[in-house]
Amino acid sequence: MVHLPAVVPPPANVRRHFLPWAAPLLPQAVAWLAREWTGAGPLNLSSWLVVVPTRQAGRRLREALAEHAATRGQAVFPPRVVTPELLVTQAVTPGTPTANRLESLLAWTEVLRAVDLAEVRAVLPHDPPARDFAWALGLGRELARLQSTLAEGGWRLGDVAARAGETCPELDRWRELGELERRHAARLAELGLLDAQAARIAAALAPAPMRDFARIAVIGAPDPLPLALRVLAAHAATLPVDVVVYAPESEADNFDSWGRPQAAAWAARELTIVAFGERVRVCADPAEQVAWITALAQATPEPETMLGIGVADPELLPLLEKGCARVGIAAFNPEGRARRHDGLYPLLAALAEFAAVPDFAAVTTLARCPDILEWLRARADGRFSAAKFLRQFDQLGANHLPPTLAAARAQAALFPEVELALAALAELRTTLTRGRFPSNAAAALMELFAGRELEAAGVLAESAEAWMAQLREIEQALARGGAVVLTATEAWQLALGAFADEVRTSERPVGAIDLLGWLELLWDDAPHLVVAGLNDGRVPSAIVGDVFLPETLRERLGLKRNAERFACDAYLLASIAAVRTSTNGRLDILLGKTTASGDPLRPSRLLLRCADAVLPERVTQLFQPIAAARPSPPWARAWKLRPRVAAAPTQLSVTAFRDWLACPFRFYLKHVLRMTRVEPEKAELNALDFGILMHEALQQLGQEPALRDCVEATQLSDFLIERFERIVRLRYGAELTLPLVVQFEAARQRLRAAAEVEARERADGWRTEHVEWKIELVIGGLVVKGKIDRIDRHADGRVRVLDYKTGDTSGKPIAAHLRSECEDDLDRPEWLRMSDAEGKSRAWTDLQLPLYRLAVAAIWGDAVACGYFNLPKAAGETAVILWDDFSRETQASAEACATGVVSAVLAAEFWPPRELTGRDAQQDEFAELFHGGAEASIAWEERS
Amino acid sequence: MKALQHEMILASAGSGKTYALTNRFVRLLAHGAAPERIVALTFTRKAAGEFFDEILKKLASAATDTTKAEKLAVEIGAPTLGAADFLRLLRVVVTAMPRLNLGTLDGFFARVVQNFPLELGLDGEFQILEASAAARERRRVLQQMFTAAGEPDAAQREFIEAFKRATFGVEEKRLTRVLDQFLDEHGEDFLAASAADQWGDAGRIWPAGCAWLAAVDGRAAAAQALRAAWATEPWSEKQRERVEHFFAALEEWVPGAVLPGPLEYLLKNALAAWPALEEVTIERKKVALSEDARAALRGVVEGIAGAELTRRLEMTRGIFAVLRSYEMTYDALVRRAGRLTFADVLRRLLPGAGAPALAQESDGLGRDAEEARLLIDWRLDAKFDHWLLDEFQDTSYEQWSVLRNLIDEAVQDAEGRRSLFYVGDVKQAIYAWRGGDPRLFREIFNHYNASAPGKIVEGRLDVSWRSTPAVIAMVNAVFGAAEVLGASVPVAAANEWNREWRAHTSADEAAVGFAELRHALDEEGRFAETLKILREVEPARRGLTVVVLVQQNKTAAALAEYLRREGGVAALAESDLCVATDNLLTVALLALLRAAAFPGDTLAREHVRMSPLEPWLQVEGLVGSDALTLRVLAEVQALGFAGTLEGWLRRLESALKDDEFSRERGRLLVAAAERFDEGGSRDVAEFLEFMEGYTVREADTLGVVRVMTVHKAKGLGFDLVILPDLEGKTLASRRSGLAVQRTEDRSIEWVLDLPNKIFAKHEPVLASHMAVAESEAAYENLCLLYVAMTRAKRAMILVTEPTKNTSKSQNFTRLLHDALGETWSTGEARWFDEIKFKSPKLAAENDLSRLTPTAWVRRAARRPARTPSALKQSGVSGSLVFALNRNEGADFGTAVHELFAEVEWLDGTGAIERWAALWRDKYGADNEAVAEGLACLGASAMASVWSKPLSELVEVWRERAFEMVLDGAWVTGVFDRVVVERDASGVTTRALIVDYKTDRVGTDAEVATAVARHAGQLNLYRRVVAVLAKVSVGRVECCLVFTRLRRMERVVAAG
Ligand code: SF4
Repeated sequence: MVHLPAVVPPPANVRRHFLPWAAPLLPQAVAWLAREWTGAGPLNLSSWLVVVPTRQAGRRLREALAEHAATRGQAVFPPRVVTPELLVTQAVTPGTPTANRLESLLAWTEVLRAVDLAEVRAVLPHDPPARDFAWALGLGRELARLQSTLAEGGWRLGDVAARAGETCPELDRWRELGELERRHAARLAELGLLDAQAARIAAALAPAPMRDFARIAVIGAPDPLPLALRVLAAHAATLPVDVVVYAPESEADNFDSWGRPQAAAWAARELTIVAFGERVRVCADPAEQVAWITALAQATPEPETMLGIGVADPELLPLLEKGCARVGIAAFNPEGRARRHDGLYPLLAALAEFAAVPDFAAVTTLARCPDILEWLRARADGRFSAAKFLRQFDQLGANHLPPTLAAARAQAALFPEVELALAALAELRTTLTRGRFPSNAAAALMELFAGRELEAAGVLAESAEAWMAQLREIEQALARGGAVVLTATEAWQLALGAFADEVRTSERPVGAIDLLGWLELLWDDAPHLVVAGLNDGRVPSAIVGDVFLPETLRERLGLKRNAERFACDAYLLASIAAVRTSTNGRLDILLGKTTASGDPLRPSRLLLRCADAVLPERVTQLFQPIAAARPSPPWARAWKLRPRVAAAPTQLSVTAFRDWLACPFRFYLKHVLRMTRVEPEKAELNALDFGILMHEALQQLGQEPALRDCVEATQLSDFLIERFERIVRLRYGAELTLPLVVQFEAARQRLRAAAEVEARERADGWRTEHVEWKIELVIGGLVVKGKIDRIDRHADGRVRVLDYKTGDTSGKPIAAHLRSECEDDLDRPEWLRMSDAEGKSRAWTDLQLPLYRLAVAAIWGDAVACGYFNLPKAAGETAVILWDDFSRETQASAEACATGVVSAVLAAEFWPPRELTGRDAQQDEFAELFHGGAEASIAWEERS
Repeated sequence: MKALQHEMILASAGSGKTYALTNRFVRLLAHGAAPERIVALTFTRKAAGEFFDEILKKLASAATDTTKAEKLAVEIGAPTLGAADFLRLLRVVVTAMPRLNLGTLDGFFARVVQNFPLELGLDGEFQILEASAAARERRRVLQQMFTAAGEPDAAQREFIEAFKRATFGVEEKRLTRVLDQFLDEHGEDFLAASAADQWGDAGRIWPAGCAWLAAVDGRAAAAQALRAAWATEPWSEKQRERVEHFFAALEEWVPGAVLPGPLEYLLKNALAAWPALEEVTIERKKVALSEDARAALRGVVEGIAGAELTRRLEMTRGIFAVLRSYEMTYDALVRRAGRLTFADVLRRLLPGAGAPALAQESDGLGRDAEEARLLIDWRLDAKFDHWLLDEFQDTSYEQWSVLRNLIDEAVQDAEGRRSLFYVGDVKQAIYAWRGGDPRLFREIFNHYNASAPGKIVEGRLDVSWRSTPAVIAMVNAVFGAAEVLGASVPVAAANEWNREWRAHTSADEAAVGFAELRHALDEEGRFAETLKILREVEPARRGLTVVVLVQQNKTAAALAEYLRREGGVAALAESDLCVATDNLLTVALLALLRAAAFPGDTLAREHVRMSPLEPWLQVEGLVGSDALTLRVLAEVQALGFAGTLEGWLRRLESALKDDEFSRERGRLLVAAAERFDEGGSRDVAEFLEFMEGYTVREADTLGVVRVMTVHKAKGLGFDLVILPDLEGKTLASRRSGLAVQRTEDRSIEWVLDLPNKIFAKHEPVLASHMAVAESEAAYENLCLLYVAMTRAKRAMILVTEPTKNTSKSQNFTRLLHDALGETWSTGEARWFDEIKFKSPKLAAENDLSRLTPTAWVRRAARRPARTPSALKQSGVSGSLVFALNRNEGADFGTAVHELFAEVEWLDGTGAIERWAALWRDKYGADNEAVAEGLACLGASAMASVWSKPLSELVEVWRERAFEMVLDGAWVTGVFDRVVVERDASGVTTRALIVDYKTDRVGTDAEVATAVARHAGQLNLYRRVVAVLAKVSVGRVECCLVFTRLRRMERVVAAG
């Protein structure tokens, strides 16, 4: 087995220095760098190159240097401060034509799509489901990631097979990977490019000489990239390199010559945490950790000067930010957040979708982008109301269910605001799809933002810059790529994905407390440090299960292993604890028992690095089940809702009576306050739409003079279907979505069944006299309006009024109008009830048919029959069902009830609401208002 | 130390299953097993977490307490071990923590797949879909299938046809919903049986033919014959009517729909006399059948049944086609993109699914089993020697199939260094409906012991550590009543139950407890009785935990609601809580979003108007719908949903007063929004839908009565258990849905949408399928009751309706009545009297007083950071920002800056030519930046920039960074060029700051604007240079160099 050292041993002029834990690292680092400064002139460190572990550390260092100089009224020529990563990048000779990330990825996709799978069976034992771009991109990303991991140690894919050792069971696989890499490099070479990782590795061995610097210091960087050490080693041949270790001199043996904690030394070391029992706290979940920290921050005066927050578990970050904001404390996350959270991202995503397919869903998403609304307003010279537009837009969507932008435009004549907007969007799409990506994408955005002035350093401008950089990168890659042909969708996908994953850092608000990542804590100088989320897997971090690089192989390649991660984290904890002990500061540690989604977490192993004697005690403390610290408070009503007072209606529809009878308060909501819902993602007909379509077809049949006496079912059926098609075409256009196709088919079947029944009825002697007969009644001083679906007359003179029922099941008129009485009814007015023929008392639930009868009585007398023409989904049940033995008493009672309802409405009697249960409650359209009882939810007396 | 044995443990409820498992783990450790070589798998992450905690606690307590150490040592069969040894083992375990293989089955499988993605046909990147994400994917797939506009293509047409066939004649309006149900019901079946011939294939179901199917065409003729045969029967009016109705209904009848009453009546009666069919009952009178009548009636019945079967077969095939069509799209869109559910993961690993990794056979790459094994070890960085499987009764056959090969090696290990230990309770097998296969328990045992008897040792745990003797007495009385069980459920189920049943005992024989069966007249009565019990026991006052167990989530909701409403009891329906929609606060906030995004939604707008949000809208000037829409949508875009809601929540803070509940809900809402935001979507409709479906499991809460289904209570224990919801259907009713016939090895033989039970009962193949299904259902129901009754620690009260109320069906109530009699009780009715109030032990509220530091040295407050270049603030035009080639300008600028940085002084003749030669050589002859740089160097108007002043000492800073504290801010920046002149004594006399501008400015006005724009920045530079060069500000000059114009502009100091 070949064991390679991780890095070339440092030459002699690398010197270690130790800064003790007696004071925080930051001021000591400053003092160390400025040790020769007399204070006479500026603090001039411009000949130094300083390597620190993170950007944040660099920032803190430069700030502290300025602060230090300011104590003597001076300023600083700062050292060049870089991270190990940057050190490597800059070692590449400027002007080297390296492939950018994207170019490299595209080259991978080409290689992967071209390769004969038979040659790489050890890598791809199974044929991929499709060898398309997406597949190649996915695998390409994976290989790029692998390249970059290997590069950390200075290896390329092709090096592995030789180093992995004979016992590696995957030598074939690595040989093939090496071959793939060779082709990748060759492809890049054709484009005049060098693979970036290869360039980095080469540069690390022979870095570009540094003319501007006289010396190099590596400060407080316990875990530098191995490749960076190669760079340093190379420079060390000509320049003095100082490695500054934050640890007392007495610890010297526990670090290697680059200042890295020795795995062996730290693996078994005890870590001291003062007052462990009190200061290490197991919290139930993230919320409790957040609550604890925010409470502490609130209780600390000027928290910024006292408190440091370390966040070892990234899951806590956004919660902590929100939690702090809630209690009025500014918090700052210097690590930033992925750009998928930028405001610009959703707009871009919507445009990408729109560019791919102009379907209505994509338009819907765009329509609610504020930037689009802004643009539409600008185009209309300000004469544009976003609310009105959206209202109409949603209505158009609900009425016509258009599948595409074009279909929507075809229906938009009735909605001028929408018509204009859709035309504008269609134009935008033309821009979006004309020519090639990314110029078309940029053109569309330019068009969208043409009239806008963006705040120069504002969030949007900054985001936009980043996006444009992405586009430029793609453009460059595509321009060079030659053979690569991406569809617009693929290109968008690529750009958007890269943009989304990019990290944005923002300005630190004044006075904010930093929420620092674990690796930043070494450099933080807060006297009171609280570390949250110190759970295993977060700290110490460990990689388990890597598709290509299992731990054994990492070890053979000298890549970073879990043992080194552990050593580094142990050292970090030891340092942040020790400095606080020696400076009379304080360290508190919080850890979660579960994640936000309730999955169990384990305490960090670091917390168990104690003397054996205390181990059981620690285990007991850390693994105790915890009683929920915050017992959930009992359900409570935040407030009662106060409906506004609105004027009583001046007219009612016949069908509104049913609503009042069902629940006066819901009637108030629906018919007085006119509360209706918009279904945002309506994709198919609802019961109402379905009914309307069938009604319209039937109405046209009733009006057709040529067919008045037709008793042929097929003829009737043909007519109905033909009309139905026409109506449908008119309303839903020619392009139909799949659910509509199925639903229309269902409607046709019902109409065919209806035609059969109709034919029979006609054969029996019935003829339709009127359809959609408008009626208007005055009841109790209120106008009541309605439309009778149809009025039939029989050859023998009988007359009947019919209502089409298109519900799923067929029903009897009497059952729909009257229900059996229940106990509560006894307290309600007498007019709500009637006694049926058997003397049983029943309560009215609907007055539709009696009111129809009342309306036609003047013309056809009071012997008119009434009933339903049922068109249920079971075709066999299609039938005309009359209200049997409808009596004078029934009519009288219904009219009395109607009068009662009207007077109640006029007297604003809408209270109390009906408490619904079971299915009714589930279907209650106003359910969102009612919690723990309808009556209890509303402050009816306090209307305003 | 005893050698390790393979063990199977049947552990009754509350009998210390976890104890046994942890002991086993410790035993393995004591045996020298490396902890990372032990695989311990269970079903939930929570259980896995608890298991680990228990192991550590067990070791910790044995490490500190010699008595406990001795006891543990004996229990694990290593009596020589002492406290020090356990301490050592404890260290071993915590050190191995990240390498432990202790988790869920799902997680274990996912890990394997994660390590072999390419071998398993994945692209490499793959992601596990949690339930909610999976639901979203499904919606996306359906949408994709639907939105294709225009004439339906062939695939769509096939889909429509299939759907029609599947739902056969029953039209449906809510297609999306129907489909969703469809997929819920049948999706898994399809994935388990994806071959067309498994679905609705008559030849497969009836290899020997089916008489009914053969009779399908003779129906009409037979009906005619029957009519004729019966025409002359001397029947009563009523009988005649019956028969007439029958014939009428027969004419109308369409197979597949619900059987109409008149049809069903006669069919039922005829089938009751099946197959002899000597007589048939009509209107309570037996009618003897003539030869002709019998033949005709038989023909009719068989014809109807045949038609029904035909239709069902067709529907089944329709269902298959629908599923296949959906699955194909799903597969392409979701699985291939590397988004897998746990079920998908498992399927990848199944033998025969192309998973070489776990196969014992060669994997097609020429690797033998041994090599394949090595590969697993290599990739997973692990070797597995010992297997501990928990809740084994819930393991599915598929899961076992995946594990089998790995475990087989352990069991067959000749040297006995490896082991298997599995534990569970076949009496708690309540997850058979989602694949749990309790039969495996014995099958595995028998399989291994068949070849080598005693290979696996059987252990039993029947002592309950959870329940009092009273509770146990009741459990024994019900489940030990073998005869009663025999009469209540199908024989097979009863036998299976009785075979594994052992009487339970309570570990604490003296514990006070109570168990009772009591009655209430109806549902309302049962609810009222529940309330009565709660009022009597006063659990909150005594600190007792109580659960009310019901059969369905909706009953839980209704009962909890009842208890709150009628009794003011703090009851919690512990279905998953819909935290975003179960309270006024969050619903109002959602209404705000809705009202803004959907201005037509007057329901939402009016709702907001009724709430305390309205005054805030007034304050913020958002009363008009335009303002509201634009503001909220912009907020959502900029801050995300979490940020937006957080802002509004803060405004409502004062309205909440001391309402901690709503505050908590608000917090949960924001946390949920945060999760949604993670995905990057800002779609309000999508967000609302997400929130409506968002649920949270509430943590165990003291002082609250929890109402939940038995399934959710599994694994939990409560002081008092009330079971008021035991009414219901026959125990032996098969689960609705497709009939899936499996072979011994669980592979699917056929699938059929069963016809009406009256037919299926009389068709031998279907009847035998049903009998098995019913028996399995009955067994599962027994398990359900057993789980329910073993949740009680101290007391249990069952409330049922008297059996005369219930039908004759063999349901829970009937079973309890048969086993216990009308009423039954044992123990102390006032068992709770003895219990003293225990104040709930809450973690101390923030003990901040102890923590708040008082006398420490504070660090300096951080300063606001400024970069001078940010000072030239003003707007940028949108079209400029999005110009694709604008940055060529920036690159150009950088290049020019770089060139100038190389030039210290431009002195002496030929200097320009020297630079020209150098740059052209270095950057190319036609480099634009070079041309520009050279032109500038040669421009007379700018000569003063590069010509060395005559002072004694001159210093020039090029591209020089600085840091400084100025006006309380930390200023950081880079000078393009600064020339500092000093006199002989080193005192600075003058400094000149030069700043290069390479952008396109043309007119004088533009120059003036640019100068004005940069004045702030340069004045700041002036002050910095003054400090750095030790000179008064007045002696520092600034100028801007406009390279394109070759022009230099002085910038005067700000007044
Ligand atoms: S949790 Fe959800 S479903 Fe259950 S009662 Fe509350 S709101 Fe209703």
